[in-house]
Amino acid sequence: MPSASFKDELLAEIRNLRAFAISLSGSVTLADDLVQESLLRAWSNSEKFQPGTSLRAWLFTILRNIYYSNYRKRAREVQDSDGFYARRLTVPGDQESHLDLEDFRQALTLLPPEQREVLTLIGASGLSYEEAAVICEVGIGTIKSRLSRARSKLVELLALDEASDAPPPERKVRRAG
Amino acid sequence: MNVTRTNKSEAPAPDAAPDPKAVEAIGRALEAHYSALVQAPLPDKFVELLARLEVGTPVSDPQRRRDALG
Repeated sequence: MPSASFKDELLAEIRNLRAFAISLSGSVTLADDLVQESLLRAWSNSEKFQPGTSLRAWLFTILRNIYYSNYRKRAREVQDSDGFYARRLTVPGDQESHLDLEDFRQALTLLPPEQREVLTLIGASGLSYEEAAVICEVGIGTIKSRLSRARSKLVELLALDEASDAPPPERKVRRAG
Repeated sequence: MNVTRTNKSEAPAPDAAPDPKAVEAIGRALEAHYSALVQAPLPDKFVELLARLEVGTPVSDPQRRRDALG
């Protein structure tokens, strides 16, 4: 039976776990199922967690494994009928960046999932390259090159490579292919 | 020529590097995107799930429940 403190630590990670799940699957509905299943699995495998290591990284690994083994196919079906998550969540209006958040999210969905997840893990979830490499089961070199390709692709999709001197006009996401 | 294989993971990815300002803008947008997701209202069911697990109530798997509901 896991300890009460393990439960509290899980509770503290739910928001981040769900944010990762939404980014990965592109659907709030799927993300919530993924989070629920991950919590169940984490609870019943709590003895496998090594204290002192990152609980966040461990949970992300569990969730990612569930996603790629059970949900990825479903995600494609659901995304089409369900609509993209950006339209289903209320977004706090604190956008300091020049980029329109809606444009950015659209561009993000056009990235291959393995690039999107690396970008999310490193650029937003606060995980290290080493942790991301363990989670994605690849080497650090691969993590770095995926990150770099993801950034270049976003720069291209969001047309950030043009007219960088001028104040940003209304931007539209370029159509992919 | 010395062709000793160096640790590639130490070197930055070889792709043509985009404008640092553009990368910075993307970094900020990514953080804004993610923090909005982290701050989004959280359904009660997760907290309830952990509470049920803690007291030992059996919990059904969401996928199976979904299938059973058709």
